[in-house]
Amino acid sequence: MSKVVGIDLGTTNSLVAYVKDGAPVVIRDRSNDALVPSVVSAAEDGTIYVGREAQRRLLTDAARTVYSVKRFMGKGPDDVRQEASLLPFRVSGEPGGVVKIGLGDREFTPPEISAFILRDLKHRAEEFFGSQGEVDNEVDRAVITVPAYFNDAQRTATRDAGRIAGLDVMRIINEPTAASLAYGLDKRHQGLIAVYDLGGGTFDISILKVEDGVFQVLATGGDTHLGGDDIDLLLMHRVLSEVGWSQPAERVQEIRKAVIQAKWDLSEREETELNGKRLTRTEFETMIRPIVDRTLEPCRQAIVDAGLRADQIDEVVLVGGSTRIPLVKHLVGELFGKTPHSELNPDEVVALGAAVQADILVTGNREMLLLDVTPLSLGIETMGGVMSKIIMRNSTIPATGSEMFTTFADNQTAVDIHVLQGERELVADNRSLARFRLRGIPPMPAGMARVQVQFQIDANGILSVTAHELRTDVEQTIEVKPSYGLTDDEVERMLLDSFEHAEADFAARLLIEERNEAESVMLATEKTLRSPDFAEIARQDLAPGEQQRIETALAELKAVIGGNDRDAIHEKTHALNDATRHLAEISMNRSVQAALSGRSVNEI
Amino acid sequence: MMTSQTAPTLQVCRDCGGGAPVDAHFCPQCTKILSISRHGDYFSFLGLSRKLGIDAADLEQRFRGLSRQFHPDYFFNAPPTERRASLERSSYLNDAYRTLKQPVTRVDYLLQLEGLAARSPEEASKQVPPSLLEEVFALNEELDEIRELRTSGTPVDQLRAKLERARGPIEAKRAAHESQLEDLSARWDALVDRGAPPEERRPVLEALRERVLERNYINNLLAGIERELAGTASVG
Repeated sequence: MSKVVGIDLGTTNSLVAYVKDGAPVVIRDRSNDALVPSVVSAAEDGTIYVGREAQRRLLTDAARTVYSVKRFMGKGPDDVRQEASLLPFRVSGEPGGVVKIGLGDREFTPPEISAFILRDLKHRAEEFFGSQGEVDNEVDRAVITVPAYFNDAQRTATRDAGRIAGLDVMRIINEPTAASLAYGLDKRHQGLIAVYDLGGGTFDISILKVEDGVFQVLATGGDTHLGGDDIDLLLMHRVLSEVGWSQPAERVQEIRKAVIQAKWDLSEREETELNGKRLTRTEFETMIRPIVDRTLEPCRQAIVDAGLRADQIDEVVLVGGSTRIPLVKHLVGELFGKTPHSELNPDEVVALGAAVQADILVTGNREMLLLDVTPLSLGIETMGGVMSKIIMRNSTIPATGSEMFTTFADNQTAVDIHVLQGERELVADNRSLARFRLRGIPPMPAGMARVQVQFQIDANGILSVTAHELRTDVEQTIEVKPSYGLTDDEVERMLLDSFEHAEADFAARLLIEERNEAESVMLATEKTLRSPDFAEIARQDLAPGEQQRIETALAELKAVIGGNDRDAIHEKTHALNDATRHLAEISMNRSVQAALSGRSVNEI
Repeated sequence: MMTSQTAPTLQVCRDCGGGAPVDAHFCPQCTKILSISRHGDYFSFLGLSRKLGIDAADLEQRFRGLSRQFHPDYFFNAPPTERRASLERSSYLNDAYRTLKQPVTRVDYLLQLEGLAARSPEEASKQVPPSLLEEVFALNEELDEIRELRTSGTPVDQLRAKLERARGPIEAKRAAHESQLEDLSARWDALVDRGAPPEERRPVLEALRERVLERNYINNLLAGIERELAGTASVG
C-alpha cells in the first residue's frame, strides 16, 4: 500500500508527518532535522535546490533564490508590488493575472515553486519509508495545511501545487485546526479552545469547541500577511538605515540572517548584538509591539463571532515559531486571562495534525471529526458595484448558498457573474475570485428567465458553482476564469514539465545529500579542532603528523564541497572521515572518562 | 412554497431504487447514504417538529450526531454518488443547524416555510410599521436635533446623553416585542403539539410575521442610534 502523509507547507519552514500505530510522528532527515526551509533556488545549469542548500544559496546567488513564496500564493502582481521590491528575486506578471517569479532565465508561478518544496518533502518521506523496509514506499496522497484565513484563490493555488508535485491532495485543512487535532489527541484538552497561530508570514486565530472527539470551529480570523517576516523586516530596516540602503542582494541576505538570529536570541536572553550594537529585549519589544498588537483585534473579533467572552475560553494553544517570542506569549496570555499552552513543539504541531487528518481519511476512523468554517463571506457583484453576500463567514463547511438571476434584455442567452470573497460593502474592496458567464439560457422575454446559481464550498473551503434555469430545466455550462489562479490545462502542463525535469532534480538531490553528509563531517571536525582541550589531545594522544593529515583532508573537502562533482565530494568526505577516526575515538574516550569522573560532558 | 400539507412523504434511493421515508438519511434497503431530495425542511431533517421552542443542547447533540454520520471525511473512499450525497447532506445539515440555532433566523425560516415571508428584506426595513409611527417620528426629530447641535459644536457628552435618552423608548418597545414574540411562539408550539388545522395556525403566523417585521425595524433604528453614538465618539 502506498503511503499517506500530512504536510505543513509553511512560509519559512515545511514539514511532513505520518501516523505510526495511531500516533502522529514528524519525519526527520538523517541529521535528525524535521524542518525543510521553504526556500527554492534555481542554479545557472538548471538544477533546482530546495531547503537548507537553497537557503545557503541565498548568501551566494540571491537573485536565483526564492523564499516566503507562500505570501504570493493566489496573488496577482498588483497585490505584491510593494513587498516585491525588498526581495532578491524578480516578481512580475500580467495585471489581473497570476504572479510570476523569475529565477535566472526561467519563470515560475508560486504553485510551481511550492511544488518543488512539496516534492522534496515527498522524497524525504519516501526515503524514510524505504529505510523502514516498506515494500511500497511511494507517497502519492497528502493532506496539506493552509492558514485558516486563506481565501479561495490561495487554497486553490495550494491544491494546484500539490498536483504539480504529483500528489493527490486529499484535503486542505486549516493550520490552527490541525494544531488542535494534535493537541486534542490526548483527550485532556476539551472544551472551548483558542488556537493562536503566528507563523513566518501569516496569522490565524481560531476558536474551537472540542467535545466527544468533534473539533468544531466556532469562529476564525486572521491576517494572511502578518508574521515573523514582518518582524525581520523591521529589524532589517534598522540595520540598513545604519549601514546604508544600497547593498548587494547577498549582503542583504546576510543581514537578514543576522537579524533572524538576533530575534531568536532575544527569545532566550535579555540582550544580544546586531550589527555590532547592543539590542535589548525591551528595545526589541518596543519595536515589534505594533505588529503583535495587530494580532489582538482579530482575536477579540473571533471571540465575539463565536458568541463568547474571553474568560469563557478554557485553554489557549500557541502555534507557529513566532509564538516563542516572550512578548507574544505575554500579550496573548493577558488577552485571554490565562497562561497559553505550548508543550507541543510549535513548529511541528500543525504537521502532526495534518497527519492525523490524512489517517482519518484513509482509515475511515470515526473517533474524531473536524468541522471547520469558511473564514470569509462569499458573494456576488450586484448593481452599483455592491457585494451581495450569499454564504456568511464562519459558516460551517461544507456549505451551500444560492442566488436567482434573470435577464435584462429580450432573448438574452448569457449572464455575467462576478464572484467575490470578503466582508466589505463595495466590490472593489473585496477579493475577486472568478468571473463566470452563464450560457445557454433559452431565449425568452427579459426578466422571464429564472437561473438558480448554486455555490458550494466543500470541506477544503474551495468553491464550485453550478447553475440551473428553472423554467426550462436547462443545466447551464459555466466557464470558470479564476482571477488569480491557474486553469486545469496550465496545472496539467506544469505537472508534465516537472516530469521532464525530474531526472535533473533527482541528480541534484543526490548531490545535496552528499553535501549535507560532507558538511556534518566537516562541522564535527572543526568543532573538535577548536575545542579548548584540543591542544592537550594533540600533544598527548595524536601521532606525529596526524593533525596535519586531518587539516589537509578538511581543506581538500572544503575545496570540492561547493562544486557539482558528487563523486569527488563523496571521496573527500570518506577521506576526512578516515583521517579523523582516531581523533574521534580519543574524544569519545575522554568524554566517557569525564562522565565517569563526575564532570559534565559540556565541560570537556 | 411547498407547505407541509402537500409535501411528499417518500423518496427513492438512487442506488437500489428502493423507497425510503422522506426524512430518512440512509436507505432502509441497501443502507447507502441517500442523495438529498428536493423536499423536506430543516426541522424534519434534524428530526424536529416545526416548533419555535428548541433546546440548544439537544439541537447541538443532533447536529453532532448527524455530522458523524454524513461528513465527507467518512465517505472519502466511497463511490462518487455516495461522496456527492455526503457532501449535499453535510451542507444541508450545516445550513439547517446554523438557521435553527438562532431564534431570529429560526422564526424567519418558519415563516418562509409556511409561505409568509416578507416580500423582500429591503421592503421590510423601509416601511414604517403603523404601530411604531409615533416612536419613529419622535426619534427622527431627536436625531435631527442632535446632528444640528453637533455641527454647532455642542460638547460630546451632552449629545451622548441626549442620544441615550432617545434610545429609551425604542428599547422599551423592543423589550415589549420580544415578550410578545415569546408568547406567540409558545402559542404556535401548542398548536403544532395538538395538530391544529391550518385555519387556526394562520392567524398566529400572521401575528408572528407582524412582530418580526416590527422587531427588525426597531433593530435597524437602534443600529442607527449606535452609529450616531459612534459618530459622536469619533468627533470627541
